[in-house]
Amino acid sequence: MEEVLYNILGAVVTFIVAFVVGMTYGGLTRKITARVQNRKGPPFYQNFIDAFKLASKKTAIHHGVMHLMGPAFLMVSSVMTLLVVPVLSGNNWFPNLNFHGDLIFLLYIMTFGPLGMALGAGQTGNPNSAIGVTRGLSQMVGFEIPWVMALVALMIQYKTTSITGLMDAQAQTGTWLMFSSPFAFIAAVMAMFGMFRYSPFDIVGAPTELASGPVSENGGKFLFVMMSSGSVFTFAKLTLYIDLFMGGASNLVILLIKTFALYMIPVLYGITSPRYRTEQAVRWFWGWPTFFGLLAIIQAVILK
Amino acid sequence: METFSIIFAIFLGGAVLTYFAGKLSSVVQDILFLATVLVPTYLFFSGVSIGSSMPFSLEGISLLWGVNHFGWLFSLIVLGLGSLAAVYSVGYMKGKERRGYFYLNFVLSVMSMLGIVISQDLISFFIFWEIMTWSSYLMVIYSGNDVQRIGIKYFVFSAIGAYAMLMAIVIVHSVTHTFFIEDMIQAYGQMSLQLQIWIPILFLLAFAVKAAMMPLHVWAPGAYSNAPMAYTSLFSGALSKMGVYGMVIILVTMVNRLPQGILFREVLAWLGGITAAMGTLWAIKQDDAKKLLAYSSVAQLGYIIVGVSIGTELAMMAGLFLAVMHALFKGTLFMVVGAIEKQTGTTNFTEVTGLIRKMPWTFFAALMGIIALAGIPPLGGFIGKWMLYESLITSDHYLLVILIFFSSTAAFLYCYKFLFGFFLGQEEKEWAHVKEAPATMVVPMVLMGIFMVVLGTFPGIVLNPINNGLMDLGYVDSYKHLWETSIIFNSWGDHVILQPILYSIMGIFIFFLIFVLWKGYKGTRYVTTKDISSSGEVPKEDENLTFSVGFMQPFMRAVAPVMRRQMDKYYTGFANGLEGLFDFVRRIYTGNAQTYAVYVVVFIVIVLLFKDVLF
Amino acid sequence: MVGTPVLFVAIPLLAAFLIPLLGMIWKELVRIVPGLVLIYLMVLSVNLLNHVLVNGPIVEVIAGWAPPFGINLVFSAFSGFLVTLMVFLGLIVWIYSYRFKRNVGFEPAKKYFLLLMMLVTGAVGIVLTGDIFNMFVFIEITGISGYALTAFYTGRDSAEASFKYLMLGSIASTLLLLAIMILYSQLGTLNMAEIATKIHTVKPAYKVISLILFITALGIEAEIFPLNGWAPDAYAEAPGPVGAAFAGIVVKASVYAIIRYIYTIFDISGAYDFLIIIGMVTLIIAEFAAIRQEKLKRMLAYSSIGQMGLVLVAFGFGTKEGVFAALFLMLNHAIIKSLLFLSGSYLVYNSKDKTIAEVNGMHKFLPITSFLFALGAFAIVGLPPFAGFWSKLSVLTAAADSHMLFVMSLILMVSVVELVYYLRVVNRIYFFKKEESVEAKKPTFNALIAMLVLGALILVIGFYPDVITGVIHKASADLMDKTKYINDVLSIKQ
Repeated sequence: MEEVLYNILGAVVTFIVAFVVGMTYGGLTRKITARVQNRKGPPFYQNFIDAFKLASKKTAIHHGVMHLMGPAFLMVSSVMTLLVVPVLSGNNWFPNLNFHGDLIFLLYIMTFGPLGMALGAGQTGNPNSAIGVTRGLSQMVGFEIPWVMALVALMIQYKTTSITGLMDAQAQTGTWLMFSSPFAFIAAVMAMFGMFRYSPFDIVGAPTELASGPVSENGGKFLFVMMSSGSVFTFAKLTLYIDLFMGGASNLVILLIKTFALYMIPVLYGITSPRYRTEQAVRWFWGWPTFFGLLAIIQAVILK
Repeated sequence: METFSIIFAIFLGGAVLTYFAGKLSSVVQDILFLATVLVPTYLFFSGVSIGSSMPFSLEGISLLWGVNHFGWLFSLIVLGLGSLAAVYSVGYMKGKERRGYFYLNFVLSVMSMLGIVISQDLISFFIFWEIMTWSSYLMVIYSGNDVQRIGIKYFVFSAIGAYAMLMAIVIVHSVTHTFFIEDMIQAYGQMSLQLQIWIPILFLLAFAVKAAMMPLHVWAPGAYSNAPMAYTSLFSGALSKMGVYGMVIILVTMVNRLPQGILFREVLAWLGGITAAMGTLWAIKQDDAKKLLAYSSVAQLGYIIVGVSIGTELAMMAGLFLAVMHALFKGTLFMVVGAIEKQTGTTNFTEVTGLIRKMPWTFFAALMGIIALAGIPPLGGFIGKWMLYESLITSDHYLLVILIFFSSTAAFLYCYKFLFGFFLGQEEKEWAHVKEAPATMVVPMVLMGIFMVVLGTFPGIVLNPINNGLMDLGYVDSYKHLWETSIIFNSWGDHVILQPILYSIMGIFIFFLIFVLWKGYKGTRYVTTKDISSSGEVPKEDENLTFSVGFMQPFMRAVAPVMRRQMDKYYTGFANGLEGLFDFVRRIYTGNAQTYAVYVVVFIVIVLLFKDVLF
Repeated sequence: MVGTPVLFVAIPLLAAFLIPLLGMIWKELVRIVPGLVLIYLMVLSVNLLNHVLVNGPIVEVIAGWAPPFGINLVFSAFSGFLVTLMVFLGLIVWIYSYRFKRNVGFEPAKKYFLLLMMLVTGAVGIVLTGDIFNMFVFIEITGISGYALTAFYTGRDSAEASFKYLMLGSIASTLLLLAIMILYSQLGTLNMAEIATKIHTVKPAYKVISLILFITALGIEAEIFPLNGWAPDAYAEAPGPVGAAFAGIVVKASVYAIIRYIYTIFDISGAYDFLIIIGMVTLIIAEFAAIRQEKLKRMLAYSSIGQMGLVLVAFGFGTKEGVFAALFLMLNHAIIKSLLFLSGSYLVYNSKDKTIAEVNGMHKFLPITSFLFALGAFAIVGLPPFAGFWSKLSVLTAAADSHMLFVMSLILMVSVVELVYYLRVVNRIYFFKKEESVEAKKPTFNALIAMLVLGALILVIGFYPDVITGVIHKASADLMDKTKYINDVLSIKQ
């Protein structure tokens, strides 16, 4: 019983950290984007204000049971990802579910949310939502290829499919995987562009054409859950990258520095780019990123 | 073993009786039909112990029927799915024509599949194999649509496969002089290299056709979608597994002993991978749910083929587990399509939409089936997918794993299309009258859905029999104690512990569901799908907001280059060429008596000319 | 013993002569008498076969001259098996056409039954005789009744078909006579057993040429490609039961003759391979031609030709397994192809062109006939658990045992073609819309009985082939044992 309570406490704490960090990053992104586009932009804590407002709203209408469940599906995926990814290396953080799932499991649990959400969006009947979903799924097929290639390269090089195993491998050799497996890192980062959906890969929400796509029929608490899920997910994914390629982080400060640095890559790349069409995006991922993924696998096979 | 005789007697007698009972009353027919399927199922699982056998002889050939663990596993698929599909059929066939025909062939199919898995000799194996082929063929042409093209294509491919197998059987017989499978396996080691290579190829040809492997899959989309859905769930779920069953036996007992076996297995695995990828892409393109599921079956069988042809213990487990899962979820999904077809009269995504509130139980079954198909945790499909990936990675198939990953990610597209197309989206007035399907149809679907959920966390229920079956085939049991728990392992020691994951998922899900609904669910009200914001405007009542045509267009544009070539076209071209040849041959018979007389003279002259060579 | 082999020839021949006379007494006798004759022969042949299987062959001498000078009849396991089969088919054909008179009138019916009796006489005579010139006579009897039966429907097309048959048949007779002359000039005997003992003394050139002439002449009757030009027309234009009789009786007798020459009389080993070659060619060409046919009976005719090719191939293996397979195949072919002809002729009974397109949707009007046709189609392509499967299996086993893998794969490939055209027809019967212009004709009660018996046999042999395989094994052993045949015949002293 105690163990269960301890686990729940760990999950809650991790969740809160992830929520705060993710929201802050989101706010900073808005600020940075605004500055680049020569606007003043909202304050960096604007997202917290939005979230608080949304969370305090009462739900008035719904479109049916799947619509109600959509946000919960999304949250399951984000939180599960968060729980499986080790937040800090060493044993100075709650282990959560770190040792209960491996990378393949993670890949699948990460797709769980978008699909559940897609069902919720589907039931609203808004055609824009469905269009957004189809775009999102197509894009996912695109970026999963280089992403999986990068992961497979790591797995075969170190003969393990668990995240902690890869972290241990880095700790033993003392080199970050982004240096020892540069191609895998490049492919993974390029896949990250798609994962974070900043332009030019913001085809899912596409604020101007699809009115934000899947989320368009969601307001109030629905939107709050989605927003916080997005923030948590962002944090979880960044942590995963750090764990895999940059040796993990031994305390929170290092974690924040590393994640922020990594986070800026897609943000800055995206700010100045116009949006791709869906098929262009998909093909983009099957071009250079996949090529690098292939190089990564070749490298891994040679070095194995 | 008398039970075997009783079971097959009930099957045969019941099939014939059911056929004629239709003249009496349809209720009697239904009851007889159910009894004919369910009683032998009960007898088999209660009365037949593993290891029992029944030798007998026919036409001077010694035959042997028996059950081993491996056969038992597949008989579980056959009879389990067969019983559920039988219950479903009763609802599905209500008010349809040719009921006797349907029931007869249904029973014969179940019987022949059971026969295949209990055959311990090649002759009864082949006989049951052919009965299975023609009874399923009769089901494919049940609807009468395009029988000359779809039906004959199915039969021709099956026959090519079956005849290849027959050839292998008689070749084996000419060497060993018995038809026992056991003896064939024994003698295989002493055969000449040429035979050692050709016999597995010939056998695999037959099994690959049934398992719809590229490039022999072209019959599958038409056949699966043309058969009545109640049967297709069995067709795709269990009948195609017979190909897998045979494949496993041949691969394990023959190919693995061959020095060149590795090449065999690689080729087969790659063909399986390509099947999976291409099947998925074609499934995304389909607008008809039957076709979509048919291509999806092809793709899913591709995964299974990959698993069994890699052949490590984990891969074999993965392949067989996926086979069981595929029987469950594809059985369910075809039943779902059947229910929708029954209630609405169409299976086209561009016509039916927004059924979720009208057919909630069907939706539940469909959702479970789709989640399992997509391989998303915490349902059973994930277990199979996980083991497949892990086995591919740990056995150095790096590019193949990418291909498999691509196809299973792309599978999300058609999964979503299936759910959205039928159940979600705008609720049209046209379908306002639709009711939930009758209980006989819903119950089997929902039962299978629940079973998939259970398997997602407690895969040991199925992994254990699989493990026993693999031990029968000579695998060393390295994980036995682990398969009983709800942990899945790979050979590097990485694992997924399923129970905490299930509980976490459920906990988080329920927490946030409550969060969204907090402060009075009563306060929220349902609004129709017309009551939405479309770019800031509220659409009018008569505005058409249904999105179903060109659903995955952007993605299809992205993959257009690989879809330009169709295997089917090559086959059609070949067939047309053959027909031309046949026509030419037909013209030899001119119908002119003088010509025939000349033929006689020419014959004599030719034979006289070559008489020294000939005699 | 209840009778002697000579009765098989004497009784039907007598009946054939008596039928017109009896018709004057009471018209019904015309159709009753052949039935009685055939039933009697059936009982006789079954009894004799049982006797022969236990006690060895019966050799009967006609007119008191012992072999090799007199004519003798040999009722061994092999020939007895074939005789039983032929008589059985004759009986089936008789049951089927018992009410023929109602459709065609008395005068044609009288001729029909008379010719049927002659046909049986001739065919049975071919199988039983031990004398090559006597065989020639029987072949002529069979041929002449065959020509007449082909032209039974006195239309333009049947006359043409009959003429083609007649023309090729005459060529066959000429060649056969020539062949017999060559042998006689060299050996001075016409007795098969006697020839067999002396054949090694003949110069190879004479031997080979006479063999070629024999094969050509008998090949015309046995529908070997390219000598079978008459067959499709004859089958298509003759009445349905006659088609069945051709497939089941006439062709079987001719094949028997070829086999007797090659297995017993001549000692040329190359002949076996030659059988395989011509058999394969016949099989392939016929099946290829069948798939593009527009008329149902024509299609069945080509299929029949193809099956006979397969029988020759099986005989060509020259092994005991091969002979067993060939005999089994002959039995199945006789049963199944007759069923197809009999049911098929009702399916196209009223249609003008007798095309395959006109069987569309017939199952609603002729459920049993359609079912039996479908059963026959499934059986003849060798689908288990029907009769055809076992014979196909034994052919392939024999091929594999003789290491003829190429032949085996060709047979299987052709089987796929066969499958396609049969299934196309079955699909049409069951799944196509009926043509408005065609009216279904209900089969008569007798016809139904005849077809049901054949259908039941297909199922019985399919589920439990042991009922018949024992006999076939003995028959094939009998054929293989050449010296025993010679001894049995020549040891007879009058």
